[in-house]
Amino acid sequence: MQTHATTRNAAALSRRGFLLGAGGIGAGLALAGCAPLGSSSSRPETITFYVSKPEVIGYFDEVIAKFHDSQSRIRVIRDSTSNMSANFVRNRPPDLGCLNYNYAMVSFVEHGALSDLSDLPEKDTINPDLWPLMKQTADYPGRTSVLPYSVTAASVIYNKQIFADQGIDVPTTWSEFRDVCERLTKAGITPMYGTYKDNWTIAQGMFDYSVGGMLDLQQTFAALDREGTKVGTSSSVSFEKDFAAPVDRMVDLLQWHQKGAASRGYGDGNLAFAQGKAAMYLQGPWALGEIAKSNKDIDLGTFPFPATDDAADNKVRVNVDLGLWIPEASRKKEAAREFLSFLMSPAVNDKYNADNNGFGVRKDSPPASNPALRGMQDSYDQAKFSLGASQLIPAEIPVANYLQSIAFGGAPAPQLRTLDGDWARLALRTAA
Amino acid sequence: MATTTTESVTTAGSRRRGGAAPRLQSGRRGGAGLRTKRSRTDPLFLVFLIPTLLLFTLAITLPAVMGIVLSFTDSVGFGDFRFIGLTNYVAVFSDPAILQAYLFTIGFSLVTVLVVNAVAFLLAIALTSKVRGKITLRAVFVLPMVISGIVIAYVFSFLFANSLPALATTLGFAPLEQSILANPDLAWIAIVVVTAWQAIPSTLLIYIAGVLSIPAEVYEASALDGASAWRQLVSITAPLTAGYILINLVIGFKNFLNSYDIIVGLTDGGPGTSTTSVAMSIFKGFNGGDYAYQMANATIFFVIAVVIAVIQLRATRGKAAL
Amino acid sequence: MTIQAPLQPGTTATGTIRSVDADRNAGRRGERFNWPVTVVLVLCTLSVLVPLYVTITMAFKTTSQAVDGNAFSLPAPFSVDGFVQAWQLTDFPRAFGVSVLVAAITVVGTILLASFTAYAIARNWDRRLFRWSFFYLLAAMFLPFPVLALSQVKLTGLAHLDNPFGVAILHVMFQLSFSVLLFTAFLRSIPAELEESARIDGASTGQVFWRLVFPLLAPMSATVGIFAFLASWNDFVMPSLITSNPALQTLPVLQQMFQTQFSNNYNVSFASYLMAMAPAIIVYLFTQRWVMAGVTQGAIK
Repeated sequence: MQTHATTRNAAALSRRGFLLGAGGIGAGLALAGCAPLGSSSSRPETITFYVSKPEVIGYFDEVIAKFHDSQSRIRVIRDSTSNMSANFVRNRPPDLGCLNYNYAMVSFVEHGALSDLSDLPEKDTINPDLWPLMKQTADYPGRTSVLPYSVTAASVIYNKQIFADQGIDVPTTWSEFRDVCERLTKAGITPMYGTYKDNWTIAQGMFDYSVGGMLDLQQTFAALDREGTKVGTSSSVSFEKDFAAPVDRMVDLLQWHQKGAASRGYGDGNLAFAQGKAAMYLQGPWALGEIAKSNKDIDLGTFPFPATDDAADNKVRVNVDLGLWIPEASRKKEAAREFLSFLMSPAVNDKYNADNNGFGVRKDSPPASNPALRGMQDSYDQAKFSLGASQLIPAEIPVANYLQSIAFGGAPAPQLRTLDGDWARLALRTAA
Repeated sequence: MATTTTESVTTAGSRRRGGAAPRLQSGRRGGAGLRTKRSRTDPLFLVFLIPTLLLFTLAITLPAVMGIVLSFTDSVGFGDFRFIGLTNYVAVFSDPAILQAYLFTIGFSLVTVLVVNAVAFLLAIALTSKVRGKITLRAVFVLPMVISGIVIAYVFSFLFANSLPALATTLGFAPLEQSILANPDLAWIAIVVVTAWQAIPSTLLIYIAGVLSIPAEVYEASALDGASAWRQLVSITAPLTAGYILINLVIGFKNFLNSYDIIVGLTDGGPGTSTTSVAMSIFKGFNGGDYAYQMANATIFFVIAVVIAVIQLRATRGKAAL
Repeated sequence: MTIQAPLQPGTTATGTIRSVDADRNAGRRGERFNWPVTVVLVLCTLSVLVPLYVTITMAFKTTSQAVDGNAFSLPAPFSVDGFVQAWQLTDFPRAFGVSVLVAAITVVGTILLASFTAYAIARNWDRRLFRWSFFYLLAAMFLPFPVLALSQVKLTGLAHLDNPFGVAILHVMFQLSFSVLLFTAFLRSIPAELEESARIDGASTGQVFWRLVFPLLAPMSATVGIFAFLASWNDFVMPSLITSNPALQTLPVLQQMFQTQFSNNYNVSFASYLMAMAPAIIVYLFTQRWVMAGVTQGAIK
């Protein structure tokens, strides 16, 4: 069965990736340590390529090797450990960066530290629906600072076997979802597995899915930015007012999680779900590999979380898992651009996404290869997606901690009011 | 007779402190003895001192000053910035999250430093009394010092989330049946336990030294006078190790104020924000837009830590020979 | 472990120092042991041994067993897979070598600089410059690391010290305050008569220090050394910020790559931590005798 092969592949990749990463890191380090030999007049140009996602280090080392085979003017050294802030402080950032595009990138983008890539031919091949997403996270006017490389989509992962045994169809509205949960509970099956100990899973799952399905994130956050220091009980837009409904939805979900979710973490959740202890799991594709470590044969599917009773509202939560950028401070931009083009070539880009449960970023990208992800393909193709709201709240505000209080049984309103207060205070300090 | 010995010890100690000791008498110990022979200092002493001091200033003081200066700007750690005066400091004082972090951190540090020192002191006494296999036992108790914080956090995380509840359920002890880490009112206890576990070894080493330095004759004399073990502890051991107690209290408190690794590993500041420490707040702002703001926070933190240390030293000035 | 400094009877507050060896001799003489306390202590060692047990067993598990949530189970099957992966992923020999280099420089540098400084301060306590230097160093101990961090990054970058040497120098500087505190306390116990008699014989200050005082400092040097070693060996925040060349990174920083939110390879990461802990434990056991004697002799008032 294909699922079997693919999830086994995921596990094997994880393993292979690590072992390759081993040789790769060794090779990368050896390359870095060796001085270029010979005194040929055309010394190869060396560029630093930064990628820190551990699962894919091995993959990129293979790509680098292929790049070296295809030409000899440019050598690529992979860096996975240096601290990015420190690199910029020293004014020696990597020549090409390949990072998760989230709040960590905001200060680099908004300070104009990244060069403009809009003149690259690859830019036009990118799926235009992705640009608004990129802008929402961070923007430097007049520049394309980052090119998306891989998008991950997260929604509800479900155990197909359990659904089949119970004769349950994939729900497309909130009422249907509630019914599904009720039926599962009556049958003595935990509807969803909760891992509240790791507060990021609450933010990533229940919160982001509910908010994404019920709010227009772009408008809401733009309005919050405009209100700035005035955000609070009496402002026209606030967390307390606008996020009340989605957070109530989140509170509704709590009753269908297992008891004791407060002391379970991400690792416990992966294990339990792999053992069939729950029917659904609100996690992203990164969990698929972890689940496979404990159960290679499990048959999984996905569907967008139906936050409202209008099926047209259903969205999946996406984030740009990897984005490519070249800093202004790089002195080897041309060489970096060549390697960037190599990475963005369909063969390389598609294989990356196929192997790593990502969705393609180009207009002509093939669909996601892991059958488990098929349930989200339509949503992705029709651009029925949104960023995670928790990723749009700056890191200085510990929103995941506040959500954890709610998951532990705290009242939502005070936490939302705290969010308002934090937002207003942050606006005050950054506006100065 | 025991009292006489103690008196002579403390007098000797206090006589030794500070540079005001009369030259002739202090010549018997270290201290200012050598200065009596010359009217100016041997320049070699300056060679010993100045280069190190300069290097230290360059490596530590200068960056600190730079960091503090940045707290008066809107810097994100790199690139351009503007001076914005006291805005960040005003913002710190009006941020309830930071206030809560300080309250938690200071309260937690207070409890931990007392627990660590009480346990380490008792252990030191136990490990210097007539027990079997003392050397091996001492080696074992110092082991936690060597283990990295991340391993400790993982292991204890597991123990608190799984083993302890299982044990409590078997024994029917209700409050602990859910993981203590998930309880907003009790999670701090778990953090105290783990922090103490890691901090006791180094404190223990210093206390063992202190206890071993007390001459056996003092105890023998007091035993002849009929002093009980408890009396010996209170009237002999404690006063004579006062200097070491002070060092451990001051440095221990400072270390616990800076707690980061263990808290992140166990609760990540949760449940909610009930166990967020000041160091965690500071690091959050580190890689991003709140850099200058958290520099202001860190500067205030430095001042508070120094003030507390000075208070500790002043309060015990008469009793401890440092 | 003989104490070389002759003690003036009646002037020292301590008579017989109860050294480690004396305790052992007590046992051999057949004196009564305090068994209840012994038992309590042995039970308390469980709190140390249990976490150690978990660390060791986890390192020898396979990936699938490592995530099965049962920390106390024995490895079944027994697998060195974790070690193999950890070895390769961190390029263990190289990272180990870099860590050893940094730690060695830190230890030697700290002992030398701290002992010089402490000697100068202790012997010139009545001079303002020296006294204030002592309090200056002590106050700096309270500086929180984040205040210094990025500025240090900038300065080391400018000075071409964004490499293990820069890391080692910074480690020495961070250890300086505490080490000077320890050495100064210990130096008070070395009677000035020794140095005075050496000077009468014509020795210069330098010779007095090198030939006489420094050897006497050996036990405290061991103590300072072990604290400096551990601080440097386990440190990962500073090297991750300071060293720009990934090929020259220390072991703890590379071990961080096992720690991601999304992926748990406990057997690999614990194997890696075990491999990193082993030298620290060995160094500690080796110098343990010196450490004990060091803190003991430092107590001479």
